[in-house]
Amino acid sequence: MTKDTKRQDARQASPARRGLRGYGTALAMAGLLGLGGASQVGSAQAAEEIVFGGSIPLTGVFAFAGEGVHAGIQDWVQIVNEAGGIEGRMLRYEPEDTAYKVDASVAAFKRITSQFQPNLYYGDSTAFSKTINPELERNGRMIMAGASFATELNDPEVFPLQFMAGPDYTEMFGILLQHIADTQPGASVAFVYSDTEFGRDPIEPGRARAEALGLEVVETIVTPPGSVDISTEVLKLRRARPDYAIFHGYVQAPIPEFISQARQMGMETRFMGTFWSMDHTVVMGMGEVAEGFMGVMPYRYYYDEAADAPMLERIREMRPEYQSTAYMQGFLTAMLMTEAVERTVAAGQDLTGPNLKAALNSIEDFDTGGIIGVPISLPGNSIPVGRIYQADIAAQKMVPVSDWIRLDETGG
Amino acid sequence: MRIGAAKESYAADEALFDTAVQWRWLLAFFALLAIFPFVATPYWLFMACLVAINVASATGLNILTGYTGLVSLGQAAFMGVGAYTVAWLEINLGTPVLLNLAAGGLMAGAAGMLVGIPSLRVKGLYLAIATIAASVIFHFIFANWTSVTGGVSGLTMPPATILGLTLDEPRHLYWLIVPITVLMVTGAANLFRTRIGRAFIAIRDRDISAEVLGIRLLRFKLLSFALSSFYAGVAGGLWAYFFRVVTPESFPLVMSIFFLAAIIVGGMGSILGGILGAVFMTLVPEALKMAVNWLSPWLPDAVALLSPVRVIVFGALIIGFLLFEPQGLAEIWRRLRRQFHLWPFRT
Repeated sequence: MTKDTKRQDARQASPARRGLRGYGTALAMAGLLGLGGASQVGSAQAAEEIVFGGSIPLTGVFAFAGEGVHAGIQDWVQIVNEAGGIEGRMLRYEPEDTAYKVDASVAAFKRITSQFQPNLYYGDSTAFSKTINPELERNGRMIMAGASFATELNDPEVFPLQFMAGPDYTEMFGILLQHIADTQPGASVAFVYSDTEFGRDPIEPGRARAEALGLEVVETIVTPPGSVDISTEVLKLRRARPDYAIFHGYVQAPIPEFISQARQMGMETRFMGTFWSMDHTVVMGMGEVAEGFMGVMPYRYYYDEAADAPMLERIREMRPEYQSTAYMQGFLTAMLMTEAVERTVAAGQDLTGPNLKAALNSIEDFDTGGIIGVPISLPGNSIPVGRIYQADIAAQKMVPVSDWIRLDETGG
Repeated sequence: MRIGAAKESYAADEALFDTAVQWRWLLAFFALLAIFPFVATPYWLFMACLVAINVASATGLNILTGYTGLVSLGQAAFMGVGAYTVAWLEINLGTPVLLNLAAGGLMAGAAGMLVGIPSLRVKGLYLAIATIAASVIFHFIFANWTSVTGGVSGLTMPPATILGLTLDEPRHLYWLIVPITVLMVTGAANLFRTRIGRAFIAIRDRDISAEVLGIRLLRFKLLSFALSSFYAGVAGGLWAYFFRVVTPESFPLVMSIFFLAAIIVGGMGSILGGILGAVFMTLVPEALKMAVNWLSPWLPDAVALLSPVRVIVFGALIIGFLLFEPQGLAEIWRRLRRQFHLWPFRT
């Protein structure tokens, strides 16, 4: 039988046989996958390594942030390891993609904790942080931070092993309102927020803070997240004519549409945002309409060439292209976590969750290498520090328009 | 080679399993389920529980869509009703776990009947849109009825306790979730041996003819909605005990699409199809994730580089099934069985 005839015979085999062959291949692949999983489970963690696990949203709606966070953690781990690790112990970063879904995040957590013994962990959402909290306490071996700045997580009693590398959303509002009160005492303010847990988070406490600062909240507007048709809402804003409008719970849409329509109506309201809508790429992506758009940012931007920011210089050496504010968040989170490890090891204590958190809370007037422009302390679960930046479209940069505002000093 | 099974009575003809071999395989499967928690890692136990919850919900949707022919994109919302009911009862009354789960199922069943009312007038895409509208309404209630649902922050509930035992880890919850799922799947399989189940199938195949035969359409369509939602409610309740945090964002529309995709990929109108589809939709993304992780030693930063590719591969697999095996994984299974039964002859 020639080769050609054999091929022809193979082509003419019954559909069932062909199907069976396909299933055989699929089964073999599935078996291999299973074996691979087993072999991974069996891989022993080098005794001296300190494992940093991560449920990172590298796909899905939050991928833009996850990629930045992932790069930031990677770079800090590289810096520590190049410097010889922590007391000779290397850091090992074990991330897994979650697509920003809670069940996938928990699965990633289970898989990473089944294979390794992480002492540090990065979580991707408020829902994950809340879901995994009992497991974190039961595990007792690690501390966790993540992408969420939810006010609810800023409670050391309820979330004793978690923290956030920046102010919570209520504190972000506090910083914005403090700036408004300093710049224009007695100003009127409107809050525009998305109808999500993220969006609603700081609204009620923000209203109380505004009143305490002598500001008047003249309107609160809620929209679906990412909504496009907001003409009715803009009319409400026009009726209220606030001096400032603060957006929260969005990344970009519908902020540019709001500003654009408000400008067309001749409104002179100044528009502000919180962390996730303040990345350089997001703001510049709004185009001309973003001119003068302000917001709170706990970190310096990638291109800030301040003399007291050697760490930014180092980051630019490692990555010559622009890195997002999510990158800074991942980088600083990793930096603070390893500082906690160093302090725990230096004190001769075991790397347990409570010891690591106590070491983290002992951080006082810590120099972040200029990522945050003032020395920081972390007595609880957050760092209530931030600065107001404003978009300069001509220069294609976010420029600071305030000094660093520390709520722990202003009593906010 | 087995070429057939002799059936000597109607009861034998209607039996779920017609040979002793099938029963032996089933017993072996149950034995495997019983041994599994003692040999599996916490990760695989987590996945097993998640698969079981998804199987329960997909089976419910299969009753409605696969067997009664009523398309629904509200399964996640009904799971939400069940989850909130269970969480509220657990937090405020501390009632027994099984009672809470039953209440969650009944509450979701009642909600399902309400949503099913338009099903007498509209079918297909129109009904799908009606169920989407219902899910939006449920989402609004979850987010705004703060005194009951905790608003956008949701409800954080204590772990389930049975006879003083706290079920706060997958290895404990496995013994709650898996048996309930087995019971529910068995119930669904038996449903289609009854008059009610046959009425559902008649409605699916030609509702006008079914009505002519004396099947009261409204009653049976609502019953199908109620049963399907009951399944979703119990699955939602199990979900609540598993994750212990229920928020309005826990049950998005995309989750309903997940279940619809599961029964399509698995095979509509087949209990086995619902099971296989839920397993496929839950485990294949994880298997692809593992495949990506293996490449890490050879490809630096494989996780970041290949994660989007992984999503594309998963999507392509689903499209592939729709193109090449529209009857789903259950049909592949049936063909495999036939192949073994008739070997060495061709099927």
